[in-house]
Amino acid sequence: MPIHEVVAEELRRAVGRESVIVSPHDLRIFERDGSIEGAMPDAVVLVSTTQEASEVMKIAARHRIPVVPRGAGTGLSGGAVTIRGGIALQVTRMRRILEIDPVAQTALVEPGVVNQELSLVAAQHGLFYAPDPSSQKACTLGGNAAENSGGPHCLYYGVTTNHVLGMEVVLADGTVRWVSGDAPDRVGLDLCGLLVGSEGTLCAITKIKVRLLRVPPSVATLLAAFPSIEAASQAVSAIIGHGIVPAALEMMDNVTVGAVEAHYQAGYPTDAGAVLLVEVDGIAESTRELMAAITDILAHNQGYAMREAQTPAERELLWAGRKGAIGALGRIKPNYYLHDGVVPRSRLPQVLSAVGEIGEHYKLPVANVFHAGDGNLHPNILFDLRDREVLHQVEAAGEEMLRAVVELGGALSGEHGIGLEKAAFMPWIFTDDDLNAMHRVKDVFDEQGILNPGKIFPDPTRARIHLAGRTGLALEARWW
Amino acid sequence: MVTAPSVEKPASAEELARVLHEAASSKLAVVPVGGRRASKMGDPVERCDVLLHTTRLDRVIEHSQADMVVSVEAGIKLESLQSELAKAGQFLPLDPFNSPGHTIGGLLATGWTGPLRLRFGSPRDYLIGIRVALPDGRLASGGGRVVKNVSGYDMMKLHYGALGSLGVIVAASFKVFPRPLRDVTVSSQGGWADVDRALSTPIAPSALELFSGGRVLARYTGSPDAVNRVVSELGWRPEDDTVWTEHGGRAPDRWARVAVPRSELRRVLGTFPSGAEWWASPGIGIAHWSVATDASSVREIRSTVEAAGGTLALLAAPDDFTREVGAWGAVPPTLDVQRRLKQAFDPGGVLNPGRFVV
Repeated sequence: MPIHEVVAEELRRAVGRESVIVSPHDLRIFERDGSIEGAMPDAVVLVSTTQEASEVMKIAARHRIPVVPRGAGTGLSGGAVTIRGGIALQVTRMRRILEIDPVAQTALVEPGVVNQELSLVAAQHGLFYAPDPSSQKACTLGGNAAENSGGPHCLYYGVTTNHVLGMEVVLADGTVRWVSGDAPDRVGLDLCGLLVGSEGTLCAITKIKVRLLRVPPSVATLLAAFPSIEAASQAVSAIIGHGIVPAALEMMDNVTVGAVEAHYQAGYPTDAGAVLLVEVDGIAESTRELMAAITDILAHNQGYAMREAQTPAERELLWAGRKGAIGALGRIKPNYYLHDGVVPRSRLPQVLSAVGEIGEHYKLPVANVFHAGDGNLHPNILFDLRDREVLHQVEAAGEEMLRAVVELGGALSGEHGIGLEKAAFMPWIFTDDDLNAMHRVKDVFDEQGILNPGKIFPDPTRARIHLAGRTGLALEARWW
Repeated sequence: MVTAPSVEKPASAEELARVLHEAASSKLAVVPVGGRRASKMGDPVERCDVLLHTTRLDRVIEHSQADMVVSVEAGIKLESLQSELAKAGQFLPLDPFNSPGHTIGGLLATGWTGPLRLRFGSPRDYLIGIRVALPDGRLASGGGRVVKNVSGYDMMKLHYGALGSLGVIVAASFKVFPRPLRDVTVSSQGGWADVDRALSTPIAPSALELFSGGRVLARYTGSPDAVNRVVSELGWRPEDDTVWTEHGGRAPDRWARVAVPRSELRRVLGTFPSGAEWWASPGIGIAHWSVATDASSVREIRSTVEAAGGTLALLAAPDDFTREVGAWGAVPPTLDVQRRLKQAFDPGGVLNPGRFVV
């Protein structure tokens, strides 16, 4: 539905004529994010300041038009897709690092700052920003905060919410507020903690204060091959069981390794059933000692062809293979559908074997590349979108994989968010009472339901995902 | 039927939710009670009709050693949980003051922490699931039993530190940690200069405490070689582990928590009356002050703290003193939103009335 000219004119007055996009041709660019479903916004507003974001929100509130905050559009759960139309609130022009305080080890940034850029700038002070999604070269810190993003190094360092100290946010009525800040233990409810990860459904984020960490003086990175995913999973449990929490502990299966090696020639062993990428950091004494212990543990768990990066360049190459793995999968099929289930770590072998069986059943290739230490799996279902028929198979397979995750005591998303794609599955893990409590939060922040509507909560009017006979079973409840 | 005044000790989460619902339906004021370690925190309650004890909810629901995840009922004592975890060489890195005797539910509701927060963060960082009884009788869960989870809103953050003002926590799941390979504590008398030294060692201390008399306690954990190197470079006096048990037992009759941006802590503590007794976690930005002054001096210090961007909260004091000073200080700028949340979860205002900010 095209936006009403009256509204468009109000938006232009608020942010300037050139910052409002309404022509269908131009809007198409903003139709999608990194997920598989798209929808056209009615308008895109490119805001440059908090004030502008606030004005846009006030206009939207007055006219009851949906607002979907949007960063780089790299999200994988449809969080930035304007499924009910309305305004895409584009924040990528708000891209200043406003302050780095090397003494307090904090940074104040605008939401459009690219994740990796912050660490590059902070490096001048010997500091870095820990959460490192694989899309960190492109994704924005605003999107990271909205989704509570993770990344390989979150195993040791924690996810985004553990690093956000405070935020400036625009509420649904257009008012601008600060939540939390530099001091610990604020008085009152922890709104900042509640808003991080709320996927744009409770507020728009306009400034973020984050914690920076000291760059560790020594880093050691090891690649190890295993005959099977089961053996590699066992090795992961063994490392953690020995009281060692590495900085990162990543797994790739044989399919992924083949694609990565063809693309990067990083020296990944293509005969392996699975490989582990293990990293420890600290001072030279600790990395040396921990790496020796890890090598020993891996060798006792069928690890072979172990290779430690000898130079920073070698380390970069090993990581390039991991972080670029999903792109490399394009060698197998042009499209992928990436899932983000998370299970208790000890259930990894079971869930991965279920994932493999589901792929075989649907005759779809599946590549696994994921954060093994966290139990956060990322099965990539590979397909060719030009074959429209296959899409239903892909969706059905994905749903079954998530089902397997939930049945093993897991959760729907470890770091990508519920967004659009998993909203219908929420009753799998939450009871009506659980969802009722979350709804109360939503209603407090967004009475009119204009902030990113159609996300997180199951939408009974949406028929894309068929759940006949499967809903209403809240598996989470049995744990209590 | 719940009638006032009464003391209720439900034996299950369902029973607790039912009692809470009955009390709320009769507009009775409910004060949740755990280990009574923080019962003086906050402003004195305006009414108290029902004391709702969680202490019979004291089970470990499940400890999955391989996953390093534990789920417990809220009334379990921290020490009981620690001894259960210790059997598997694991622990919860939580060492609150006024120990022993805290319940897990109480620690989550109050947000009390201790020195180990420097390395491990607070339960806010490792609480991965929560179950809460609401005044309408519902039992609502958030999170799960996995260490990384963005499914739905972060309800753990909503209830952590909310002092039971939105609901009564009945169960919780945590990510737990392996016992460090090496754990060494050393001390000095060097005051702030030694604080700066310890905070800039190549591996950061896991706990660092400074006392008003100038004593510094530093705890290093992790890889043995690295810990040994750092400790030998510092050259401080070795301490026994029991020093932490003693420290964790601290709880003056009148005390306050000062929380400021950590770069402000030294300056702020410098404005305290001479002879003031306090201990601080300079790496975090928190100090605990044993209050020995009158109410007006506390208010004066509070204004200095607030001007530095921090807060001063009374943790315990006689009711009259707390009324005079106010437990919390300046209201947060988002008070209107917080009140709407309170209204959404406790529309009758029956939970801890008048005690918290909302």
